[in-house]
Amino acid sequence: MITGMDRLTAAIRGETADRIPVFCNLLDQGARELGMSPQEYYARGEHVAEGQIRMLRKFGHDNVWSLSYVGKEAELLGCRKIAYAKDGPPNVEDFVIHTPADIGKLTVPDDVLAHPMFAEVRKCLDILRREVGGRNPICAYITSTMTLPTLLMGMEKWMELLFLGPAEMRDALLAKCHDFFVKEVSAYRRSGADVVVYSNPFGSTDIVPMKFFMAQSLPWIERDLRAIGTNGVVYYCGMARMNQVIETVFDHTGIGAYYVSPLDDLAEAKRIIGGRGLTCGVINDIKLIDWSEADVRQEVRRILEAGMPGGRFLFGTGVMPLAIPEANIRAMLEEAYEFGSQKREMNR
Amino acid sequence: MNLQDHIKLYNEAVFDSDRDRALKVVHDAVAQGVSPEDVVFEMVLPTMNLMIKAVSEDFNANLAQHFLTARIADAVTAEMIPKFKKLPEMVGRVVIGTAWGDLHTLGKRIVIGCLKARMIDVIDLGVNVPAERFVDEAVAREAPVIGISALMIHTATGENGCRKVRQILQERKLEDSIKIIVGGAPFRFHPQIFKTVGADTWAADAVTAGKVIEDLLQEARR
Repeated sequence: MITGMDRLTAAIRGETADRIPVFCNLLDQGARELGMSPQEYYARGEHVAEGQIRMLRKFGHDNVWSLSYVGKEAELLGCRKIAYAKDGPPNVEDFVIHTPADIGKLTVPDDVLAHPMFAEVRKCLDILRREVGGRNPICAYITSTMTLPTLLMGMEKWMELLFLGPAEMRDALLAKCHDFFVKEVSAYRRSGADVVVYSNPFGSTDIVPMKFFMAQSLPWIERDLRAIGTNGVVYYCGMARMNQVIETVFDHTGIGAYYVSPLDDLAEAKRIIGGRGLTCGVINDIKLIDWSEADVRQEVRRILEAGMPGGRFLFGTGVMPLAIPEANIRAMLEEAYEFGSQKREMNR
Repeated sequence: MNLQDHIKLYNEAVFDSDRDRALKVVHDAVAQGVSPEDVVFEMVLPTMNLMIKAVSEDFNANLAQHFLTARIADAVTAEMIPKFKKLPEMVGRVVIGTAWGDLHTLGKRIVIGCLKARMIDVIDLGVNVPAERFVDEAVAREAPVIGISALMIHTATGENGCRKVRQILQERKLEDSIKIIVGGAPFRFHPQIFKTVGADTWAADAVTAGKVIEDLLQEARR
């Protein structure tokens, strides 16, 4: 029987499988499935693992997530207050960095794997590895060096420091974030994560000017990738566009997979990446909230028609909002399975 | 150098997101006899409008450019207004904040910087603002516009955000006198949801939001 891992491997190699790989990122839905509040659900690694496995069985997509919530990274660096919502993802409520002095005090754990705040993630990964390891790709969401400060001090304060300085304070913070980034990736990989989603909105020219990207973002991307290698790494700009930088990122780092924004021209992304890597066509899942099932199916077909020719293609979602009706999730996935299979000759 | 030369240099500095250079251009202009009024109304505001035009034409401006444009506009306006020959007439007043449950400040901060340069009085309610407070403050401060910023889909569309503000306006029969504008990433990814959450209008980016709010206020004055 062909597994999700087989499909992903085939797509990466430019080979055909029964259908294209489909990544569906259902995180908070796990809590609803288990009938738990988000706070109760995310408190235990076994809950998150169980939620992911149930999502997999229910919808039949290919990947699972070790991610509990993005703020977990801030917790590993000292954040002690997470805001929980009943209808959305948990969020950092109290930042670690309030004053310049806090940057000096920021401490990167020596071993993320042994950190108490990582214990539940590790437990989740142990279960996922045992239950679906080798059959379904296990994804880890890792915030890049340049984006991590937004979780520690907020986007506004980070933009101030990044663009207006003082430069030495900015660089000191980035150095610590890089140190943490490398250790975090290592912890996830040692725990069984196969795919590292390298999340870097500051690697998009929707967020920073191209000149700044070349001068500041790219060197940090290179440094990040030199430290962790490109194995299993997916370039992701947090749903911001990336077509303008794909060529440069590829040339400078060799990253082989790109999780393209729904706002990008997918056919253009595919042309840029060509046969060199994996193009991930991503649906604008916010629209899934109120689209009809027919609209959903039509959009999936549009994405697959743009991305499948030439092979090396994956269909994916963003972080699916809880408000998306289950019928639309099913319609999206059924269409991706069906059209992604029927048209497999296009992969050749 | 004449005013046009200063305008050109200021434009270049802003589009290069170079705050220090933009402030130097302004200080040089004032030192060479350009009036503080001309700095704000001939340099700062037209450059901001050019940024909006650039966004609408090629969608190529970026968040950092917006952030720095607003910061520069805010700083220059704050420095120039006390030097005006007479205090400028304000266009109107707006209450602004992030939706209930939302702690993100950047978008709101950019909008506020742009509004100040447009001579709009801004009441900043901060983050995580309850719907009742938006309405209470708009009434108490006689603000005909409420601005709601939301970065997450559940705060943009949830029952305690804009939807509730609309409900309260309906209940208090204030819909004719107070308009709602929303903004934030979810609205960019789904431009129709401003209607489903009950807003009167929306803006695709924070710099454009300044102009849309100004238009709403001008309409309210008629």
